[in-house]
Amino acid sequence: MPLTSKSKYADAYVDPVGKSVPRIEGRGIVTGQLKYVFDVQMSNMLVGKMLRSPHAHARIISIDTSKAEALPGVKAIVTAKDTYQIKFGSNEYFFPHTVDQMALEADKVRYIGDEVAAVAAVDEDIADEALRLIDVKYEVLPAVFEIEEAIKPGAPAIHEAMNNIALILPVNFNNPERMMKEADLVREDKFWCPVAHPSPMEPHVCVGQWETFTNKVTLWSSSQAPFKCREALAKTLKMDLNDVRVIKMAVGGGFGGKLEMLPMDFAACLLSKKAGGLPVKICLTREEEFTTTRRKHGMIYRVKTGVKKDGTILAMMGDVFADGGAYCSYGPTVLAAAMMRIFMVYKIQHFKMTGYRVYTNNPISGAMRGFGGVQSGFAIESHMDLIAKDLGMDPVEFRLKNITTPNMVTVNKMILTTNGMKECIEKATLASGWAQKRGKMKHLKRGIGIGIAADVMGSKMYKSHESAGAIVKVEEDGSVYFFTGAADTGQGSNTALSQIAAQELGVSFSRIKCKSGDTEITPFDTGSFASRVTFISGNAALLGGRDAKIQILEIVAKDNNLDINDIDIKAEKVIFKKDGRSLMTFDKALELCYSFKYGKQIIGRGSYNPKTTPVDFRSGEGNVSGSYGFEAQIAEVEVNTDSGEVKVLELWDAHDIGKAINPQSCEAQIEGSLAMGIGYTFYEDLRFKNGRVLNPNFAGYRVPRSIGMPKMNSIMVETNDPEGPFGAKGMGEAALLPTAAAIANAVEDAIGVRIKELPITPDKIIKALKEKNLASA
Amino acid sequence: MNVNLTINKKQQLLNLKGNETLLEVLRDQLSLTGTKTACQETECGTCTVIINGKAVLSCITLAASVEGDEITTIEGLAQGDVLHPVQQAFIDCGSVQCGFCIPGMIMSTVALLEKNPTPTQEEVEYALDGNICRCAGYPKIFEAVHEAGKKMKK
Repeated sequence: MPLTSKSKYADAYVDPVGKSVPRIEGRGIVTGQLKYVFDVQMSNMLVGKMLRSPHAHARIISIDTSKAEALPGVKAIVTAKDTYQIKFGSNEYFFPHTVDQMALEADKVRYIGDEVAAVAAVDEDIADEALRLIDVKYEVLPAVFEIEEAIKPGAPAIHEAMNNIALILPVNFNNPERMMKEADLVREDKFWCPVAHPSPMEPHVCVGQWETFTNKVTLWSSSQAPFKCREALAKTLKMDLNDVRVIKMAVGGGFGGKLEMLPMDFAACLLSKKAGGLPVKICLTREEEFTTTRRKHGMIYRVKTGVKKDGTILAMMGDVFADGGAYCSYGPTVLAAAMMRIFMVYKIQHFKMTGYRVYTNNPISGAMRGFGGVQSGFAIESHMDLIAKDLGMDPVEFRLKNITTPNMVTVNKMILTTNGMKECIEKATLASGWAQKRGKMKHLKRGIGIGIAADVMGSKMYKSHESAGAIVKVEEDGSVYFFTGAADTGQGSNTALSQIAAQELGVSFSRIKCKSGDTEITPFDTGSFASRVTFISGNAALLGGRDAKIQILEIVAKDNNLDINDIDIKAEKVIFKKDGRSLMTFDKALELCYSFKYGKQIIGRGSYNPKTTPVDFRSGEGNVSGSYGFEAQIAEVEVNTDSGEVKVLELWDAHDIGKAINPQSCEAQIEGSLAMGIGYTFYEDLRFKNGRVLNPNFAGYRVPRSIGMPKMNSIMVETNDPEGPFGAKGMGEAALLPTAAAIANAVEDAIGVRIKELPITPDKIIKALKEKNLASA
Repeated sequence: MNVNLTINKKQQLLNLKGNETLLEVLRDQLSLTGTKTACQETECGTCTVIINGKAVLSCITLAASVEGDEITTIEGLAQGDVLHPVQQAFIDCGSVQCGFCIPGMIMSTVALLEKNPTPTQEEVEYALDGNICRCAGYPKIFEAVHEAGKKMKK
């Protein structure tokens, strides 16, 4: 039906859901006008810097700041003495004893880089000089860096924890010991999953400003979770939650690393207070980014599985040791996720796995994209291929026999409703030509391998609720302000959520102006993690759009003597539901709302809390997510057996994303995940020696670059989840989970060697080939 | 010392100590914050600007050394409201995610396409290998480069 009005909004972005509308920030990004905290300039803004421990483990005897304070241009110095010495951590709700870090340490430092003081000065040179002038006397303590060493009785105690084990997490269901005896085949493997670093392009940066007369503080922070940052700031600064305002500007990437408050955020606020309210900006160097912000947990992953001859998995057992570094951060839940993700993927009834999160004097492990799933994805999906090989089964056939199905309850009480796993496997194998290629390209030293994964859409592992809110304010001029607490860190959530709100309100996406991530003016949202935003914040956006729409329809119904249930707003028009006939344009309806007669402001609100149950960590039970996403990934590789070099020729990722709100953004998420997965497979490996990071820069720590990227194929599987907004699920992380295994499995298909310790380097390939030749000689 | 820089076709008379990098001058003195940096040590490409038609890293370029040269930053590409074809292609192809690397990525692309609007895929990869993007898997960036090249050839 043609539009009757000449509304400027009658454009291509009517009915935006399912369309690749361009990013809201697009013009700002490509013109350099979009402002990140990195770009903030304020008059009289001071430069803040952190003083860090040069020792991996030491007692702080004394800190003398007098010389630094006397340096002209120094405006403030803070140490633990200026603080309440309150500890913060990220798993306070379930694991209160793991709250173990102070913003500025008082008695002890536990890794090279631990924060002991902070300075604010008029320029960077003076701030650096002030750091040099602070005299810290340390008593150096014995330190420990390897998991195996740290857990030995008598190892240096980093915290109070016995044998440096911060947490032992058992996950037990039924009787795996008995089932192992009934199995036709039992196979055990051990894997090493190395340390990756999020290293977003924008380093951690913040500006803190204290309001001296009202004792409130504002922090502009490059954060994935401004509301969580506010919570930690209020706690450690001993302030009321609403005296702390955290504003997220454009964020130059996060990947898990910007999920928590860091000591620098705290320090910027306190320094500003001490400096009489002058704003203080702290921006980490790339070296600080690599050495003092959260990294992925290195994990030793041991897994044993019993299967029947026909390929049915009977039981699984294992243990996981995670190098936690100096503090707990998100460690407990990362560890839990590393063990429990498997229940979403495979039907397993008998299970026993124990996780150990171990303190070492290495930098701090925490959340990074995948949240334990990249490690378990590599271990489990490699292990599955090895079992299939032992059974003489095709790895695809073996997986199809054991995968979860729609509408089932897992052994740990996860409620899987829509489940596109089977379709994902079928589509990926078909698109990649699996049947024609598997085992048939050895003469070319080519191989093909598969890995599968599943992911949550949010996780009730953190807090009593994980709700999101939305406000949809329809202005008199027809523009729509959409407020969300969700933090767009580059994934495009501002755009996708605006699409959802516009679709439900029945208007063009062009009307929407999105305001996000300001704890004082946007509704609460726990943040960008656990692939939760499209699903949870998206549902809030949908409800906000619906509430605004109902308010408009009430006026239209009243003025036209109609039953509100008979009309709706679709594609910029108020229509009769019965036959789709147009009653009036959206603009006309708004005119009515804002008329002399009605004078009705349209302010819609949405609040959504997923229907989940918290995990009971004594048993591992709990329906952590309101929906679950699935995917299958296939890699084709070619190996140069002379150089040991592995080239990924092509990747296929079939992904159950429920419904693609913005197909282009979905593809971008998949492609970015695949690239990160390639990085983790071949070279992303943060290395330490005696607690010191050996490669704290982009020259030493390689990340994916433009040369050497394979062809990537994204296949969207739309299962239309009844609980998702317009059927959508989240999808920010799953595509990263099985990449390393898919590649390792393809390598074995190509040349018959198995790499169980990432990264897959040419050295390891050559060594494995030599061992294979020796064994066959 | 007084230094006269030509930035985005405008003369900028600056009083410098002499040791400032072009990056510092652009961001801190001229508030041209579109040019970013993610490492300050030549490894990320985020600070790329164009000097006399060549893509150059502003983090290791002394501002005083480029007096008299034609310096173009991301702020100098659009003609009024009309975006440069490369800028438009990056939006159209969905090549932007967090956006932090994009100004540098676009400047490297413009420098490439000004010389060669129909680069091979290999030439594109080579030209952009110094520009790290942490969000993308690069296919959408490559697509934008080829798309923009077609428009610039016309």
